Amino acid sequence: MKIRTIRLLAKEGTSNIYKNKLMSFASIMTVVAALFFLGILLLIAINITTNIESMKRDLEVTVFLNVSASAFEREEVVTYIEQQQTAGVVAQYRTESKEQAFENIRSELKNDDLLKGLTVENMPESFYIKLTNPAFSDNFIEKLKTFSGVNADYGIGYDKAELEKLEGFLKIFNFVIMALLVVLMIIAVFLISNTIRLTVFARRREIEIMKYVGALDSFIRWPFIVEGILIGFIGAALSFLLTSQAYTWLQNVLNSILISFRLTTLSILEFGPVALRIFMVYSIFGIIIGGIGSLLSVRKHLNV
Amino acid sequence: MIRFVDTTKIYSNGVVGLKNCTVSVEKGEFVFVIGASGSGKSTFLKLIMHEEVPTEGEVYVNGYSVHNMPRSEIPFLRRSLGVVFQDFRLLPNKTAYDNVAFAMQIVEATPREIRRQVPLALGLVGLSKKAKAYPHQMSGGEQQRVVLARALVNNPAVLIADEPTGNLDPKTSWEIMNLLEEINQRGTTVIVATHEKDIVDTMKKRVIALERGEIKSDEQKGLYFNEN
Ligand SMILES: Nc1ncnc2c1ncn2[C@@H]1O[C@H](COP(=O)(O)OP(=O)(O)OP(=O)(O)O)[C@@H](O)[C@H]1O
Ligand SMILES: [Mg+2]
Repeated sequence: MKIRTIRLLAKEGTSNIYKNKLMSFASIMTVVAALFFLGILLLIAINITTNIESMKRDLEVTVFLNVSASAFEREEVVTYIEQQQTAGVVAQYRTESKEQAFENIRSELKNDDLLKGLTVENMPESFYIKLTNPAFSDNFIEKLKTFSGVNADYGIGYDKAELEKLEGFLKIFNFVIMALLVVLMIIAVFLISNTIRLTVFARRREIEIMKYVGALDSFIRWPFIVEGILIGFIGAALSFLLTSQAYTWLQNVLNSILISFRLTTLSILEFGPVALRIFMVYSIFGIIIGGIGSLLSVRKHLNV
Repeated sequence: MIRFVDTTKIYSNGVVGLKNCTVSVEKGEFVFVIGASGSGKSTFLKLIMHEEVPTEGEVYVNGYSVHNMPRSEIPFLRRSLGVVFQDFRLLPNKTAYDNVAFAMQIVEATPREIRRQVPLALGLVGLSKKAKAYPHQMSGGEQQRVVLARALVNNPAVLIADEPTGNLDPKTSWEIMNLLEEINQRGTTVIVATHEKDIVDTMKKRVIALERGEIKSDEQKGLYFNEN
């Protein structure tokens, strides 16, 4: 096919959008609606995933030293933790000295009777360690247990059960989202190819005429594909605007709800950082849906 | 050039369109196909351009075997023909000019060729003034002439015309027929299905007469037989 023919067919497809205003409008709106639902679903998924990920990251390994641990034994543990920090396993850590531990317990237990037996000296020193990835926890904890200064029996705490619960939930959630996305995409392709099929059906006579004067299938098909792709892209752009508006509104509402319930560990993502990603996803889906929708609907009318 | 060998066309509803038809048309001939309404004239022409396929028998056109043609060859067969359709078949949202230009665009003619040939073809059928009109803005006769211009514009080897004067007054009909004769004299094979007794009788061309799908007569310098 010659360059000028390609240009001609692209122009034909573009001007068909104007010429069939009503159908173009209907198709574009279908794309807008389908992608809008897709986008909201995607944003919900991103939000839940990031929140769970950050909860996972906030889980701490707590390590108590023996009350009688020597300065050398303490140094061994600190060295190991810092070495692991350089290796990228430990994200950050803080220590709680015997004095701090005593202060904390004193402010918690207002009743002085219970405090009688306690002195700064028989409080344990402790470490609170955040890992970069929860997957490192098993090895890390095993190694810590081998240090003589660490209270291996009760001293190491890590909320494994909570972590596993979160991960299990995330797995199920991702699965549900994937299933929903697939279903939504199938519905969208169906809706859009149906709408485009209407435009093609309205023009089947035109297609026949072109065939009768000797046009190749590709000559007839390409303007429709160009039209479908453009409709898909316009729909994607409009849907993106709609999504950004709706999401920003929703974000404000949810944030004020979270604040009033003091759920400050949860956070709703800003739209800005994911905007480009969302736009790309919309454009790609819009173009694919529009192009394939056209292709499918024009195909069966070419047989004359 | 065109050859029917014992060709039969039975439509899906059982109606016979053409029956055991054996005939050939040589290069450069001018042929009238006549017969009452429903006698099979359009069927005859539709078999030539692969709008319909024969139920039995063979059809050869410009070196193509139309009776068992691969899908991919059909456009090339049609490009070797110029067709004036009984029902016009103009593209509704293109102007007269663009309809004619379309026939050249599909064969990937250069824009320069298109700019030169299209006005020429429209001028030939006397329609230069209506170049910018859309089909729904033109009379039946005017649309018919656009169709003729489109059929001519690529200089086809064979021109087939299904009642090209069906919607025209006698004067214009004669103009069209003279045009077809002129085209024929330049070497194009012309096949015309018609009802017009006067024209057939005056022009003294080869006449193939159909009756209920069968060839009743085939004569050089023939006359229009009574339709009853
Ligand atoms: N697509 C079709 N399906 C079924 N029957 C058809 C079809 N086309 C034509 N016929 C029938 O085939 C027969 C021949 O039709 P055809 O159109 O060839 O006649 P014609 O000679 O061109 O008539 P006219 O002068 O009215 O144009 C008629 O009986 C007609 O009803
Ligand atoms: Mg007819």
